[in-house]
Parts: sequence; structure tokens; C-alpha cells
Amino acid sequence: MDIEVFPHRVLGADTTEKLLNGIEGLDDVKRTVLQGPKLPPADPNEDPKYADRGIIIVNGKEIELKVKTGRIFVEISNESTIDDIREVCDEYLPFGFDINIGKYIRTQKTTSDNIKYGDADIPDELIGMTDQSAKLADRLTIIKRDME
Amino acid sequence: MAQYYPGTSQIAQNRRNFSDPEYDLEKLREISDEGVVKVLGHRAPGEEYKSVHPPLDEMDEPDDIIRELVEPIDGAKAGDRVRYIQFVDSMYFAPAQPYLRSRSYLNRFRGVDAGTLSGRQIIEARERDLERISKELLETEYFDPARSGIRGKSVHGHSLRLDENGVMFDMLRRQLLNKETGKIEMVKDQIGKELDEPVVLGEPLDEETLMKKTTIYRVDGEAYKDDKDAVEILHRIHVSRSEGGFCPE
Repeated sequence: MDIEVFPHRVLGADTTEKLLNGIEGLDDVKRTVLQGPKLPPADPNEDPKYADRGIIIVNGKEIELKVKTGRIFVEISNESTIDDIREVCDEYLPFGFDINIGKYIRTQKTTSDNIKYGDADIPDELIGMTDQSAKLADRLTIIKRDME
Repeated sequence: MAQYYPGTSQIAQNRRNFSDPEYDLEKLREISDEGVVKVLGHRAPGEEYKSVHPPLDEMDEPDDIIRELVEPIDGAKAGDRVRYIQFVDSMYFAPAQPYLRSRSYLNRFRGVDAGTLSGRQIIEARERDLERISKELLETEYFDPARSGIRGKSVHGHSLRLDENGVMFDMLRRQLLNKETGKIEMVKDQIGKELDEPVVLGEPLDEETLMKKTTIYRVDGEAYKDDKDAVEILHRIHVSRSEGGFCPE
């Protein structure tokens, strides 16, 4: 099942980082998608002190933040995880948020996917992780879970 | 007495205040002339005004009764270029909004051209008049540093949720909250060109003040449907327009 975390304000890099670390730290979380207005690419002429931080670190892995976080889709398997996620959100989103249950990440290949990837065998986990106009490698980061 | 806007709510009253040229808008902050010039980005501070025609006094104009009746504004007298300032107002209780801006600009200022779109509003005038008008717009109730944006381009953001620090989304990040001073600083001019020194726009208004000053009806503020008087007038206009346009003969 998927859930959508809908903060009442759009999030900056710091809050996104903390929130994602909290969510990704949960065992039951399989996939996470960040959705929001796209940020312009880094401008080399711009004073870096005015730019928002582009790189966040989630579970020790660097991720380039390309959108301003507006919504977070999370795929989980147990309904009880929602309460854990709610706890994480309570901590980092003091301005309020909604959690909605639904289907937010698609699980079937679309016609666009077929045109894009052909008959190549795409693992189930990669389907629905990006929109059809973007390259998968540009948008996707795989975070390995510590298997100790 | 001119009737500017119907309604008994605070929002209706605010709309009337803005539209009434006799009403003195409250001055909320101080921005230097140089700051305004920098924010506009049309000329460097201290630079001469460029002109598109010689001063009117030196021009040999044809005799015309209208020319005698209408006193030209300063910029027109000097032959300045026509320049602009454009504002974006967040739907989250910004003090002004595009339609109201146009209505009130045309009531308050002479020699201007106002253009209204759903999310942004532009005003064009001769350069030196524009600077005077911009200063007034930025210093008075028209403007809140967090919920209103000065954006010549890349205006997207008025209908988005606010940033987590309460500032309206801006992909070019022109207005930033300085966490140390608690004031909003304009670090780029209105088209996104970086400034040498940030222009301080002052502290954002708090939620309570914004709710009192806003001219936007919202269900979580004052709902339009609760303003019976305004709704009644709207119905009347709707019915007369429909019947007048129907032409039942």
C-alpha cells in the first residue's frame, strides 16, 4: 500500500533531509518518491550563499535534491507503519500535515515505459519511480538497507 | 460619494480602502530610494534617466485642447522611458491581489497602465513616476515581504503552499528570510539578477495582522458566502448581465 505525506508547507532541504532519514529508517518502508515544484539547475554565476542546498544525505547516501518537496509518497506493507511515519512527521513538521492512504506509485508498465525501455526486463521496484520524460538514472537513488 | 465595493466584511472594507484615493494607506516600512531603484533593476542607482523623446517643452506639438486640459506627469514631461514593476500575491492572505491592485492603481495614480493576470499584476509608467509609485507600493499596506513578491519574470508560486518559513515559493529565490535578523531581504532584482548588496524589505507581517489586512476571501478566513451584501450585489450584476445580454424580443 502507498501513503502520501502532505505537509501544509513546502519543505526546504534541511527538513526534507531530517524527514527522509526518519522515514527511511523504518524497516517497512520500501520506496519513497518526492514530488514538488522543480528547482532550477545550479547556476555557476550565482552566489552559493543564496542557493538552497542541493545535496542531502539520507542513510549515508548522497542524493541530489531536484524538487522543492511538496509531497512524499511512501510505499509500505503494514498499516501500523503509518503511525510510525506520523510520529516522524509530528517531530519535523510543526506547521501541520496530512497523511492519505491510496495508490500513489504505479506498479504496472505503461505504454510510455514500453516505448522507453522496450522489452527490457525492468525490476518491479523501478516501475513508477519517475515520469516518462526523465531518465531513470537522473531521478532515482537506491539506498541499500543495512542488513546486519 | 463613490461606491467602490459592496459588502459588510472587513475584507470588503479593506478593498474599499485600497480603491479610495482619499484613504491614506498605512505606511509599514521604510525603503530607501536607492533600494527601490535596485529592486526595479531598470537603471543603476544614480544613473541618469534615459529618454525616448526630448522634453515636452522643447517639442513643437500641434495645438490640441486635450493637451491644454491634461497636465503631463513628470516622466512624460521629461521624456522618460516606460518601465514596469510586477507583483505576485500569495493566495495565503496576501494584503493585495491582482484585480484589486488594478482597480486601486487606476484610482490612485495618473499616467499608468495596469495589466492584470490571475497570479500577477504589472504596472507600467514613465520611469521616474514608476519609481515614486513603486516606493509607495512597497512601503504601504499593498506589500508584505513574505506573501507578496516583486517578480518581473518566473512568477510561478502564488497558489502554492508557502515555504516552511512562511515565504511564498519563488524558484529564483529573490526574497529570502534572514534568520538572524528576522527580516526579508531582496537578494536579486525583480528579474533575478543578483544585487551587490541585499535590499532589506523588513519583517514579514504576522498571521493575525495579515488576516486583518487581507483583501482575499477564503473559507479559512472570512468566506465570501458569509458576506451577504457582497453576494447580493454580485447576484444582481449577474442577473442584469444575463438578462441584458439575452435580449428577449
